[in-house]
Amino acid sequence: MKRNPIAITIGILLLLIFLLMFFFFQVRITEVAVVTTFGQPTRDVVNPGAYLRLPPPIQQVYKFDRRIHNFESQFEQVFTSDGHNLLMRVYVGWNIAQPKLFFPRFADSVSEFEKALAGLVRNAYIGVAGSHPFAHFISTDERQLRFEEIEREILQKLQSDVTSKNYGVDVKFVGIKRIGLPESVTKLVFERMQSERQLLVRRIESEGRREASDIRSEANLQSSKLLAEAEAEATRIRGQGDRQAAVSMHVFQQDPELATFLIQLRALEEFLKSRATLILDTQTFPLNLLKGSSPSTSTAPKISPK
Amino acid sequence: MSNGLDLLEPKRRTEPQGPPESPEDPGSEALSDALKSSFAIVRVVLVILVLVFLGSGFFTVGPHEKAIILRLGKPVGKDDKALLGPGPHWAFPYPIDEVVRIPVTQAQTIRSTVGWYSTTAAMEAVGTLPPATESLQPATQGYVLTGDGNIIHVRGDLRYRIAEPGLTYALGFANASNLVLNAFNNALIHASASYTADNVLSRDVAGFREKVRQRLEAAVARQNLGIVVDQVDVRAVAPLKLTEHFAAVSGAEARRAKEVTEARSYANELVNRARGEAAIRIGAGETDRTRLVEFVSAEATRFKGLLPEYEKDPELFRNLRRSETLQRIFTNAQQKIMMPPGVQRRIQIGRDPDPIKPLTPPRVEGH
Repeated sequence: MKRNPIAITIGILLLLIFLLMFFFFQVRITEVAVVTTFGQPTRDVVNPGAYLRLPPPIQQVYKFDRRIHNFESQFEQVFTSDGHNLLMRVYVGWNIAQPKLFFPRFADSVSEFEKALAGLVRNAYIGVAGSHPFAHFISTDERQLRFEEIEREILQKLQSDVTSKNYGVDVKFVGIKRIGLPESVTKLVFERMQSERQLLVRRIESEGRREASDIRSEANLQSSKLLAEAEAEATRIRGQGDRQAAVSMHVFQQDPELATFLIQLRALEEFLKSRATLILDTQTFPLNLLKGSSPSTSTAPKISPK
Repeated sequence: MSNGLDLLEPKRRTEPQGPPESPEDPGSEALSDALKSSFAIVRVVLVILVLVFLGSGFFTVGPHEKAIILRLGKPVGKDDKALLGPGPHWAFPYPIDEVVRIPVTQAQTIRSTVGWYSTTAAMEAVGTLPPATESLQPATQGYVLTGDGNIIHVRGDLRYRIAEPGLTYALGFANASNLVLNAFNNALIHASASYTADNVLSRDVAGFREKVRQRLEAAVARQNLGIVVDQVDVRAVAPLKLTEHFAAVSGAEARRAKEVTEARSYANELVNRARGEAAIRIGAGETDRTRLVEFVSAEATRFKGLLPEYEKDPELFRNLRRSETLQRIFTNAQQKIMMPPGVQRRIQIGRDPDPIKPLTPPRVEGH
């Protein structure tokens, strides 16, 4: 009987594969596993890779998701230390760290665990919220706002609770997802906001009026000041003219009588320059010449200017 | 250990090769020959199968993603070195290797509606709003509390990318985008809690957005989410019930702006007019000055010219000048009326040849 060596090698290889399947198991990076021996959890596997085990039914492997899960609490009422009513909802990031502890309590049910977690989370945030005044939750003053501190305190409380319960779970972070007010309070807030708005409207309108009238009166003041200044300047200029003219005055002082005569004549002529109606006595010079009488300068022409 | 498996795995498919070995039997040699030739065919088929099996280890990485190989559940290489870029790659077939694709460069978008009023996509599309209510039910209607104790609605849109190497985001969370969304919710709530309603709604929209972004980035770092924040958009509106009251404030602000603008333009016009008037007044002063100075100096010149003549015979000079002037006056006069002496004279003023008509409205006759 001829034995094919290839067939033998293949046979051995197949046997090996079969044994490997029985004695090894693989843990993915996203998983942790627990090995049970006769039903008792005996070994945690928290690093990825391939591992040895005894074949079932001696040892069995249970795998768990090791990734961080997102748990969200209810939107629940809490009381602040100064007696305000707040609604609060938090989210929690947690993962399974020690399956050996987790497995006996919750088997492989994440939802079972989350039921237990819900109670712990609720305790933690109600307790922490009760030790802070309302202003630590909402405040325009950054120094008063303690959002991150509150989250940190909830996290610490939750971590110590979870650790003391020995659930084999790590709580990674806690954040506030929502804060709100009870429904009846929102109504009051709306009423207050409404009256605030009305107040604001009135304030803005009166501010506008005041600002506008300020601008107008400022402008009035400025314009009358400009005019007064201009008037003063014009007067100054005229005075300057008077002084300049006075320089020429000494010429007239050589014969004031002639100067007065000349200026009067000029003034008379300027005065009667256009559209004048003259009503003359026939005795007036030079009409008296017509009658042959001697020239007289006593009577001046009657004048009726336009 | 992994090497041993590497070798074993492909060979498993050669299993059917074993059984055909059969004892010598002269009577069935023909059958044996036939069997042998069919074994040859089976062998070829097996080789093809092995090749196909190995070939199934080829995979390509798309342009917007990276990939990592998990060998026996463990990533091959560390951090950045573990990442395979776009192009063809090869890995051992399952169960030795597993390829995980990570959409690293692709932008992801999520929307936070935790502070938004309840609405549906259909309502959004046509722009209808839910009815305004007297109060807000916590379970169904989202809103945020502002630092000054007011209630407003805020909605956020976030665009982010997975930070390389992306192992945390892809493998560290059961539902990473939910956690990112919660971090975003947290940032919105937190930022709102420090801002006044007016600042969020209108006065400091950009500042609020920046604040949300800062808070988000802090939360991302704290929770080690492994993402890069690309863009944060925030929309905020007043509670639906108070929309008209908020609008009234905007209206009042617009009116104030209008009133102030009007006052400004009035002021501008008034001041400009005053400037013009001032220039005219100064100009008039200057004209007066020039005229006076010119007049006096002209008269002085004339006086100087006439003085020698006057001094020769003042009486004659006077008469000559007067006659000369009167002549000019009489020539220029429009009307000349002569009266003999002793006649009673009555002068009626206003009987002009071309009187200037007064601008009085026409009187209505009758009662």
